[in-house]
Amino acid sequence: MLTVKNVYASYGGSLILQGVNLSIAPKEIKALMGRNGMGKTTLMRTVMGLLPPRSGEIIFNNEPIHNLQTHEIAAKGLSYVPQGRDIFGDFTVWENLRLGMLKSDRSSRNIPEGVFEYFPILAERRNQKAGTFSGGEQQMLAIARALVTRPKMLLLDEPSEGIQPSIVDQISEILTKINRETGLTILLVEQNVEMVLDTAMSCAFMEKGQIVESCPIEAVRQDDSIITCHMAL
Amino acid sequence: MDLTVQILNGLNYILVLILVAMGLVIIFGLMRVINMAHGEFFLLGAYTVVMTDQIGWGFWPGLFLAPLVVGLIGMAIEYICIRHLYQRFMDTILATWGMSIAIKQFIIVVFGPAGLMIRPPLPQMARFAGIEYPTYRLFIMLVALIIICVTYYVFLRTDFGLGARAVIDNRNMAAVLGINTRKMYRTTFTFGSALAGLAGAVMAPLMSCDPQMGLGFFIPAFLAILMGGTGTLAGVLVGGGVVGGADSLISFLYSPVMAQIVVFSIAIVVIRIRPQGLLGSKRYV
Repeated sequence: MLTVKNVYASYGGSLILQGVNLSIAPKEIKALMGRNGMGKTTLMRTVMGLLPPRSGEIIFNNEPIHNLQTHEIAAKGLSYVPQGRDIFGDFTVWENLRLGMLKSDRSSRNIPEGVFEYFPILAERRNQKAGTFSGGEQQMLAIARALVTRPKMLLLDEPSEGIQPSIVDQISEILTKINRETGLTILLVEQNVEMVLDTAMSCAFMEKGQIVESCPIEAVRQDDSIITCHMAL
Repeated sequence: MDLTVQILNGLNYILVLILVAMGLVIIFGLMRVINMAHGEFFLLGAYTVVMTDQIGWGFWPGLFLAPLVVGLIGMAIEYICIRHLYQRFMDTILATWGMSIAIKQFIIVVFGPAGLMIRPPLPQMARFAGIEYPTYRLFIMLVALIIICVTYYVFLRTDFGLGARAVIDNRNMAAVLGINTRKMYRTTFTFGSALAGLAGAVMAPLMSCDPQMGLGFFIPAFLAILMGGTGTLAGVLVGGGVVGGADSLISFLYSPVMAQIVVFSIAIVVIRIRPQGLLGSKRYV
């Protein structure tokens, strides 16, 4: 589905990605883990075209996308929920969702079926200002807005950050359900080990701008020294 | 009686000022570009009318053509020059300033430096509420009001407006959702230019058209935005009202020179006390 080949990218003058190689199979949920400052967010921004790579290739659905602009990458079927969610706080829930539809033709501008089934709270509060939502509700809105663009693959950056545990569980469940029912491929950057174990099928670890280990989730479940080795400070 | 006429004249000025300022603030809000050539778009609109008047088509085709012609010129300038300078704030000021000088000189070369008058398109007087008032000035107010309402509608109620406000709020996130921000910039710059062109065209019959006339609207429009707050459409209404109202009132009571002094003083005081403008800069609604 997505293949990142030997990608280098720098941000603010320093080289953050130093030859990243990563691939994700269709319908897979892959977790990307690592300590802060290792380049996880930079990798996502680079894939989305928000940061041009210095060298290397990014292939999505057998097409190179590393020279495309962000809106063109979105049109290919990649969507991204950034860290901190970046919802439009002054806009209503409904306006936030409508933004996800603007790229499609005028005739097909409707909310895909199922979005409100996964997130019934958004239907109830469609006229509320998104800025008044709690962190967990904003995260749900951000994921729903990404789904409205009808993506083939979703990049999720730290969805559990700053959210109470019961909502994190709920979001894990919804992500698993969406993946099972629609086959959506998900790349999940996460520090919350429990959430990774609940949702992911495989796991990759990043250190100093490179992927240093990849393994199926069972391996992590059986041997948690893998996690302590890459995550402990 | 005299006062009513003066109030109407003041309202007239305020509405046209808002038209000019609105184009300026939309371009600034979306692209962070201070368009120093905005006054010259006004100028080009006025000279479009001068041209159609001179070749014998009269005023009305010119009024129709001006926003189209100036919009296209704006689109070309965005394509040739400004799109290469996004994110380079100072450079855009210099580049658009250069454009403004070039446009002024172009007008001097083609039409000469002297002031030109055009035949009044609606010479009749309207009588109401015990006063006589030029029909054409009423027409200007109507046109300006309609355009202001349409602009509000476009930005607050349509899908295009939603996308534009999203780009203003968070450019990267808007792009992630599939919005073509470059195209949005070009459309908006064209629209803002067309607004200035239309304002120039409607004002042409009331003024002596000369190559410096753009400045007379650019500076007050700029002050109106600084006072009202950048990045808000409602701020333009407030700022335009304060600048245009004070200018008209004091010109009538004392003199135009005094009016200039007072308007600039108000601007300095407002900006000193509220640098973010009367309505602030964050919200766009």
